[in-house]
Amino acid sequence: MKRVLALALAIMLVAASLTGCSSGGEESTGAEIALITDKGNIDDKSFNQGSWEGVVEFAEREGISHTYIKPEDVSDAYYLQAIDLAVEGGAKVIVTPGFLFEVAVHEAQYKYPDVKFILLDGTPHPADSFEPDIQENVASILYAEEESGYLAGYAAVMDGMRNLGFMGGMAVPAVQAFGYGFLQGAEDAAEELGLPDGSINVIYHYTGDFDENDTNKATARTMYQEGVEVIFACGGSVGKSVMSAAAEAGAKVIGVDVDQRYDSETVITSATKGLSASVIQVLESIYKTDSWDQYGGKVTYFNAENDGVALPTEVIGDPDADAFDRFENFTMEQYEEVYQRLVDGTVDPIRTIEVSDPTGYATVEEITTALNLTKLNVTTRY
Amino acid sequence: MVKVEKYIVEMLNITKRFPGIIANDNITLQLKKGEIHALLGENGAGKSTLMSILFGLYQPDEGEIRINGKKVDIRNPNDANDLGIGMVHQHFKLVEIFTVLENIILGVEPSKMGFIDKKEARERVIDISERYGLKIDPDAKVEDITVGMQQRVEILKMLYRDNEILIFDEPTAVLTPQEIKELLQIMKNFAKEGKSILFITHKLNEIMEVADRCTVLRKGKCIGTVDIKDTTKEELSRMMVGRDVNFVVDKDEAKPKDVVLSVRNLYVEGENKSVNVIKNVSFDVRAGEIVCLAGIDGNGQRELVNAITGLGRVSSGSITLNGTEITNASVRQRSILGISHIPEDRHKHGLVLDYKLEQNLVLQRYWQPEFQNKGFIKFDAVRKYAEGLIENYDIRSGQGPITITRSMSGGNQQKAIIAREIDKDHKLLVAVQPTRGLDVGAIEYVHKRLVESRDAGKAVFLVSLELDEVMNVSDRILVIYEGEIVGEFDPKKTTVQELGLYMSGAKRNTTKEKEDGE
Amino acid sequence: MENRGNLNNKNKFNLGNIFKTSGFSTLMAALMAIFLGLIFGFIIMLIAKPSSALAGFRYILLGGFRRIWDVFYFATPILMTGLAVGFAFKMGLFNIGASGQYTMGMYFALYVGFMWDLPPGIHWIVAILAGLVGGIIWGFFPGFFKAFLNVNEVITSIMFNYIGMFLVDMWIQNNSTMYIPNMARTAYLPKSAQIPSLGIPGSNVNFSIIFAIVIGIILYIVLEKTIFGYELKATGFNKHASEYAGMKGKRNIILTMMIAGGLAGLGGAFAILAPSAIAGSSVTYEPVNIIAPNGFTGIAVALLGNSHPLGIILSAIFISHIQRGGTLTSLVGFKPEIIDVVIAVIIYFSAFSMIMNTALGNFLKRKFRVKKHKLAESIDNNTKEKD
Repeated sequence: MKRVLALALAIMLVAASLTGCSSGGEESTGAEIALITDKGNIDDKSFNQGSWEGVVEFAEREGISHTYIKPEDVSDAYYLQAIDLAVEGGAKVIVTPGFLFEVAVHEAQYKYPDVKFILLDGTPHPADSFEPDIQENVASILYAEEESGYLAGYAAVMDGMRNLGFMGGMAVPAVQAFGYGFLQGAEDAAEELGLPDGSINVIYHYTGDFDENDTNKATARTMYQEGVEVIFACGGSVGKSVMSAAAEAGAKVIGVDVDQRYDSETVITSATKGLSASVIQVLESIYKTDSWDQYGGKVTYFNAENDGVALPTEVIGDPDADAFDRFENFTMEQYEEVYQRLVDGTVDPIRTIEVSDPTGYATVEEITTALNLTKLNVTTRY
Repeated sequence: MVKVEKYIVEMLNITKRFPGIIANDNITLQLKKGEIHALLGENGAGKSTLMSILFGLYQPDEGEIRINGKKVDIRNPNDANDLGIGMVHQHFKLVEIFTVLENIILGVEPSKMGFIDKKEARERVIDISERYGLKIDPDAKVEDITVGMQQRVEILKMLYRDNEILIFDEPTAVLTPQEIKELLQIMKNFAKEGKSILFITHKLNEIMEVADRCTVLRKGKCIGTVDIKDTTKEELSRMMVGRDVNFVVDKDEAKPKDVVLSVRNLYVEGENKSVNVIKNVSFDVRAGEIVCLAGIDGNGQRELVNAITGLGRVSSGSITLNGTEITNASVRQRSILGISHIPEDRHKHGLVLDYKLEQNLVLQRYWQPEFQNKGFIKFDAVRKYAEGLIENYDIRSGQGPITITRSMSGGNQQKAIIAREIDKDHKLLVAVQPTRGLDVGAIEYVHKRLVESRDAGKAVFLVSLELDEVMNVSDRILVIYEGEIVGEFDPKKTTVQELGLYMSGAKRNTTKEKEDGE
Repeated sequence: MENRGNLNNKNKFNLGNIFKTSGFSTLMAALMAIFLGLIFGFIIMLIAKPSSALAGFRYILLGGFRRIWDVFYFATPILMTGLAVGFAFKMGLFNIGASGQYTMGMYFALYVGFMWDLPPGIHWIVAILAGLVGGIIWGFFPGFFKAFLNVNEVITSIMFNYIGMFLVDMWIQNNSTMYIPNMARTAYLPKSAQIPSLGIPGSNVNFSIIFAIVIGIILYIVLEKTIFGYELKATGFNKHASEYAGMKGKRNIILTMMIAGGLAGLGGAFAILAPSAIAGSSVTYEPVNIIAPNGFTGIAVALLGNSHPLGIILSAIFISHIQRGGTLTSLVGFKPEIIDVVIAVIIYFSAFSMIMNTALGNFLKRKFRVKKHKLAESIDNNTKEKD
């Protein structure tokens, strides 16, 4: 009766583990710094990955134990439960990449007042309102999208492009900031190159969604057919639609948030947020400089000054590769030069402008006046 | 125990138990080289189990097997094959979409550098088939050839593997009389060539014709081994069944009354919808008579039965039951109106093999108020009813009403179907090859029940391929050939030979000239 | 005569006969499959992180007990999809479309939850029923195609997984009440549309687990005690025999698929209508063009449960238990990927129980027939002596 034997073995095993459990508590081998992934995993080439790289870099340098935890369910309650688990495992610092954690961190900041939370690209707020509520143990990290967009616009024009396109998702503050920065960067580059007024054509567009769909792809295709050389695709999955239109048209795309060069050959560069750098800096304030007050309890914008925005300068997994290889003229030196201007404040792109339309869709006039554009010939397409 | 005589196969004191039953109880079987040794027994006597042990499909609980005097351990069919044992199974093990040649060489393909060398294989197959007179078309697909041909493929498979010990498991059950004759001749040829044959059957005529010796099993026990030349058919059947068997069906003169089933100008399309497989068929079956439809398999019997029972569609014509038009009625409606149906294939149609016996016994009646209340099954009523049928119809099984039907012997499965169909309130009993694959004892039983049904005033429509049965049981014979009724006979006024001529299409009553919708 | 002897034995309590019953061997096969799965899972843990393997394995085995409410919470949807697969399987239909039916049920429930303004206490009930309807509709199509056009239900239901998923994602994205575009997920459901919680702090567990178990029991009764169940199983075992017996095969196919779809749809409704442990929050859905994995887990649940409704209840809870325990292994340093692999190995080995039942069973029977018989005999003798 082998099966009876097997059953007996199973029972013995269970019994053994039961007794094992009752004799003395579990020695936890959890980690001090924990990252909770949102819906993706740490290799998503997006928020999870960027943040996790920061955690790894810092923790390995300092010899601090670190881990990441995948929530059992993509919902506030189970994000919170993943935080519970991290705390149970001994986490003192918890990194939560992305706005999906806003509600969970809001709960957790009260539940675990002794644990520090680094919430990237989001601000804690209760489930039933969008009113920010940041306790002392939470660092809410946001990014200066206008500077990132500025770098992208500057690079495109310096690279020799004269017909640009912008496809934002919905006209929410972050997207608007990217767009305005993009325009200002292009303007300054044209100025620097000594181009005549109105020599750069820009088609400015909000899709009204963050989706990959045929409408967005058709819009992008139309733009390319009208002569647009590169589209700054700035709105979640809108980028995928633009990339596929670009691939068909043989044109270029500028990515957003994270380095999207891996998604498509058409992506010449990306207006990124410095996830890794910001995570490292906040961690340093905790472990090295003992200056948590600098971030705790408030919203901090990361910009060029603290490596919070950038165009990618490295290719992941290949230290020797040239991240600028998809540009024709724009070089690393030029990039470093313009970046320095952002750092020292010579250039300070405008983040918000007055828009009368409640949807946030600015008119050509509003844009050109507020941003003081002369070289650019902007056409809106809403 | 072992005599001086040289045996090629010895199965000594084999015992094999299954839950609830001892399939083989201390059985000894010894096969001489070059002989045809028949293994005779009723269904469920343990013949198939014994052969499965020899072929490596089962392991014996006790006893040993010797090949050429050497003790062997046969764990699987490959071991058996290595020892030169080949088997033609009752249900063929062929790949239907492969050609004859591919089936024969399957598993032992000759290869050149990894590619199948079909040329060499073909030559060998053709050589073997000519040597033994096993005519085949090596390139025909198995699904397209007749059952008889398929059997030859199975035999060729054994010969191709150079098997010296050939097991035939009920090989004639599926063959036409002509094919049976050929097969028996082939078996004799094998014996002459020195091959040893184990011939499993319950057909006494065949044993008398070809076998040298015969071992008889009954209920898992070995009754004895006899030399055929010293015995008679009657003695063998007595050994097999344990009592005298009546080969002739006892019945009085039929007293036909009103017409129950009336078929008029029936046409049925074939599967590919282009030709009619039933052409302009008209006949009646009256209460109190057994009308037998005789014919060679595949001449439209199945389509005709399906049309009558509702399993198949009719293209034109009409069918009435007791005057009620049922041409397009559902199976259930026909069942309610009084059609009982003993189907041709008891495993495919007649039974849900994974159901308990009692569940199968109510398969036609479970929905009746007697067995259900507001959709819930009345388990007590089902059990009581099943126990009644088991008692009355002598259905034997390991665990009574709760036996899983699959574990029952073929004969008892058939008894269960017959019990169910006859006990059900019916006016017409359609019985299709009801004795197929059954042993003499069971055949006698089935025939008795058919006659009882007739005497109880039911109309009986019997479809049979066995001419003995046709002659013995029926009151009236219809012969079908290529979808048409080509003759009607009184069994007392005709002969097997005459029927054979009509069945083979050599003669036909062309009273009605009609154009065929070819 | 020997039959009668056997029957007499049956009447007494007889260990030897219990070993022979099919139910027992099925249960044994399931336990054995689980056991093997656990062993393989343990081996993987040993390879991945030897120092913590034992502690981690203890979490997998027992961790679920300290999170028992979450075990029930996560068991609910896979219990429903498991029933959806298992029920259809009883009729010989392989309902691989549980995912699509689940998603469709979820959408219908969401729609009622967002778009209909109903009083609390009724709102969530109507939303659940809407989920049922959505699933039924999505189960109907494969059933219809199978019954009337003889299209294999596997193909249709796979197609309908995609059709359902894309449709639902599209509908949700085009609905400004349901969808929050800049978060790429649905909005929080109104409280009135959420199923009442069981009030366990920190867990979303709610009344739906009770509904699911009750539904499982009802299905068991339908299958075992009614003539509909009788017809259904007969058709599943032998389609030809069911036609021969005059059962309405086409009607039964469609009905079965509709019921199966409804079960999966309820699963989707139960999942999306669950209350959140955080006040004001709710479960949300992200239309990211992924076929609901709960539908496929349902296949494993059904296989492990041998398609038996009561078995499926147990197997869903077991699988959820292992998953919850698995999550805890991160406490001893196991990475989520390793946990996923270990859990998957355990689940899929467990799902082999049917194969195990036949293949391994036969193997063992062949090998140990003699010994087993002797053992059974000795047990017989022992019981007799004690009598």
